[in-house]
Amino acid sequence: MHLRTDGDLHPVFCTIVPPHVLDHLSRSADARLADPARRTLAADGLRRDRRRATALAAVPTTPGVGAVPTKPHRTLYDCGNGTTLPGRKVRDEGDKPTSDASVNRAYAGLGATFELLLSAYGRSSIDGKGLPLIGSVHYGEEYNNAFFDGEQMVFGDGDGEIFLDFTVAVDVIAHELAHGLTQHTANLRYEGQSGALNESVSDVFGSLVKQYSLGQSAEQADWLIGAGLLAPRVSGDALRSMKAPGTAYDDDVLGKDPQPGSMADYIETEEDNGGVHLNSGIPNRAFHLLATALGGNSWERAGQIWFDVLTGGELTANADFAQFARLTVAAAGDRFGAADEREAVLKAWSEVGVPTKA
Amino acid sequence: MSARAAPDRQDPMRIQVSRTGGFAGIARRHEVDTGGRADAAEWQALAEEALRSARDTPPTGVPDGFRYAITVGDRTVYCADPDLTGAQRTLISRVLKEGA
Ligand SMILES: [Zn+2]
Repeated sequence: MHLRTDGDLHPVFCTIVPPHVLDHLSRSADARLADPARRTLAADGLRRDRRRATALAAVPTTPGVGAVPTKPHRTLYDCGNGTTLPGRKVRDEGDKPTSDASVNRAYAGLGATFELLLSAYGRSSIDGKGLPLIGSVHYGEEYNNAFFDGEQMVFGDGDGEIFLDFTVAVDVIAHELAHGLTQHTANLRYEGQSGALNESVSDVFGSLVKQYSLGQSAEQADWLIGAGLLAPRVSGDALRSMKAPGTAYDDDVLGKDPQPGSMADYIETEEDNGGVHLNSGIPNRAFHLLATALGGNSWERAGQIWFDVLTGGELTANADFAQFARLTVAAAGDRFGAADEREAVLKAWSEVGVPTKA
Repeated sequence: MSARAAPDRQDPMRIQVSRTGGFAGIARRHEVDTGGRADAAEWQALAEEALRSARDTPPTGVPDGFRYAITVGDRTVYCADPDLTGAQRTLISRVLKEGA
């Protein structure tokens, strides 16, 4: 496999590796980490190409209208530290990398997300019809956030004190794009439990994009959201931990990661639309438990079950955790039969205290 | 800020900004008390401008967008990124930066 350093998406059959990942690998002095990662990436290339060929065959096409796009159409804009969206166009699909690392990372991250959706699930972009992907970088001044405005992704530079540039983490880019996927499918209401599910789905697919890009199995993955995003002076590894919610950071300025990991610690609050970024820890951990129980690549079975529920048409916009959980049990049965997968789904929800019986 | 204040015809005013939501879901809350400040008049003008045509109920906002509650005296209004007026944006960033 050829590792490209410009973050471009090689036509049709190539694994993309975000530049920050390459950068990280190349800078890694620890051969125990760097070498296996490179070997995994290389070995994974062929398998992934085969998987992709299978997935592409499953992409629905409309005769007479033309095939659904199997390549992304990304356009990146630069807000120049202003707040007018989308800003100045700086990189269109197929354009050479710019001198701006934020632009190139966002371009690569959107490509990585497109790649996972297509290769693993046979879906062309977030709407299933090849919807162009739009991102804006350098939004606001020292802006400590990234968001999805319903039509595009927006990334701030961070203040350098608490947060770094929000494009540094591919899972954060994929998280934002996954909000678009949810909007075009179950459209989970961004409030209370349905809002926490909306958040969790974005963390799940954010992490899956990272794992897929790195060729990591469930055991190898760090299951962190926003690793590398916290400034060096902050005591913490990331913003959230799917594996152990509540342990991502503990800092004198940021405070302690408040996420619960089971229903016993569910947080009732008016803030943050009912704690959508807090209670998402519960379904996040359920996904981690399932993925690690099944082993292997998380995006294959665990990810497929979550994807089936999100896109299957039965999940309602105001779904609670229990409805989502029941649907994952049904989806596991539908796709894999009365097998290990279904049992593992039941066990994962049981461990976080979400009922799966009506 | 301008030092042209008229403290004798200004009641001291408390301006609070609370920011919730965001990708990290970490809340921030700060306030500025204009009492005794040389730039009280400017703060007051900015606050009045920020409150103009603002909502009395929280908007839904967008995924991961910051939500704000601005309290001036006894009135609280709500807004959310990215749909802020210029005055709201300026007031929010000043209070969150300068406030205690
Ligand atoms: Zn989100």
